[in-house]
Amino acid sequence: MQLVERESGEVTVLELGGRLDSNTSKVLEDKVMEILGQGKKKVLMDFKDVDYINSTGLRVLLLALQQLKKTQGKLVLSTIKDYMKEVFEISGYTEIFPIYATQEEALGHFA
Amino acid sequence: MEPGFSLRLDNRLLELDRLADAVEAFGEAHGLPAKLRFQVRLVLDELITNIINYGYGDDGDHVISVAMGQEGGRLRFVIEDDARAFDPLTAGAPDLVSEPEQRQVGGLGIHLVRTIMDRVAYERVNGANRLILEKDID
Repeated sequence: MQLVERESGEVTVLELGGRLDSNTSKVLEDKVMEILGQGKKKVLMDFKDVDYINSTGLRVLLLALQQLKKTQGKLVLSTIKDYMKEVFEISGYTEIFPIYATQEEALGHFA
Repeated sequence: MEPGFSLRLDNRLLELDRLADAVEAFGEAHGLPAKLRFQVRLVLDELITNIINYGYGDDGDHVISVAMGQEGGRLRFVIEDDARAFDPLTAGAPDLVSEPEQRQVGGLGIHLVRTIMDRVAYERVNGANRLILEKDID
């Protein structure tokens, strides 16, 4: 899994790539905990280069959202590949996460 | 079932890479679209991850066999293992309705399996679990 962190104003952008599965999702979980430990509250995860996710990866997203909600924070997702979108729907995630087609649109969510 | 793909995996999570490669090869050979390849890989991954993580009462080596094939308009997958008896069809449904703060995180993998596949059947045969999964091709 690839993970690039950058700041866009007050928003922490995590650009993800590769696989989010049982062998790799811990990397994202640790990064999320690090970000929250720094008191950051606005997080955008960009899935542009993610080509695979399973329930372990999906679980990390929910845990991150739950942690952020405790501090009135926000987690927004963007750029999920078409072939993976249905899995987000089946998981009920389209109801609880704002999901945008592009990172730019997702940044607009925080404006 | 037409000749398809079969593989034998050790009970280690790193074997999921070999599974992914096999699904990719199967998808290529059968001309499956990206979404279907992804879904097949996901379903097999979820089930085999469960077997490896929760199925065995010892630290020993075990083999999990996976067969993939196509019969007319449907894909068929058979997973066999010697783990403790577990019928995924009896697993509880995950929590998909609570507010995110209260939502429980378990059970999602099996829910994905049951939703994505069109038919799932479980048998316990001679001390082994056999799971038969079918997916219709549109």
